[in-house]
Amino acid sequence: MQSSGEYDAASLAQSELLLPARRAELAVARKYAADFAEAFGLEPDDSYDFVLAVNEAVTNAVRHGASDDRGMIHLSIVADADRLTFAVRDNGTFAMPVMDGPVNSDHGRGLALMASLVDEVQLEIDPGGTTVRLSKVRP
Amino acid sequence: MRSFYISDNHEVDDVDGDFALLVMGGELDYEVSPQIRARLVGAIKDGRRRLVLDLTEVTFIDSTAIGVLAGTVVKLDEAGGGSLAVVCAHEKVVQIFEITGLDSVISVHSSRDDAVSALSLAG
Repeated sequence: MQSSGEYDAASLAQSELLLPARRAELAVARKYAADFAEAFGLEPDDSYDFVLAVNEAVTNAVRHGASDDRGMIHLSIVADADRLTFAVRDNGTFAMPVMDGPVNSDHGRGLALMASLVDEVQLEIDPGGTTVRLSKVRP
Repeated sequence: MRSFYISDNHEVDDVDGDFALLVMGGELDYEVSPQIRARLVGAIKDGRRRLVLDLTEVTFIDSTAIGVLAGTVVKLDEAGGGSLAVVCAHEKVVQIFEITGLDSVISVHSSRDDAVSALSLAG
């Protein structure tokens, strides 16, 4: 594990993590999200969905995005009342998936999967990069 | 949390030689998807046309691993036809097959025997 951020999910309402844009860091991103979701009080079922959605967003950043000049992508989580919001920012241009591709296509499912797992998905695309925000509401 | 593993040194009893059984466990994500793809492509190149993937001990599957399984169905078609069946016990993993619609092109079974039987009948 070479993530450079420090976080304490139990004591913080918000957290940031810089992560090397590599496949091997996906498990780190999942643990980051899982720890925070547990501390926030999401039910295990909702926490699982949140973590999977986070995994999809970070995978997209690693796969299609561009890291910053230090090879990093930027992760953050904010807990606000009953809403837990994760964001991942990379320096790349978001590649819009083909949403109506064939069912046996080998790619293009990530965004649809995110949308089915969390309450809100936001994409912010600007000249400097792409931010994907995922929110899960605590019942 | 158990890390990813994959093994293919399993015998399938009483079936033709075009069967292959691969057993996987742990978390199937973008990091390990190339290993999964390589094993499945290798099985097809070896002449296997009925593939059973036992995912009983898989606790997590993402869209890239789902994509590898979908791509395997296409590769079987390109190789002249074949079938892919998965064995899946984890409720959330089964749910991902349903959400992505992959359960419409890959049969999902609760036991290895059921999956082997289904592919035996598929002829």
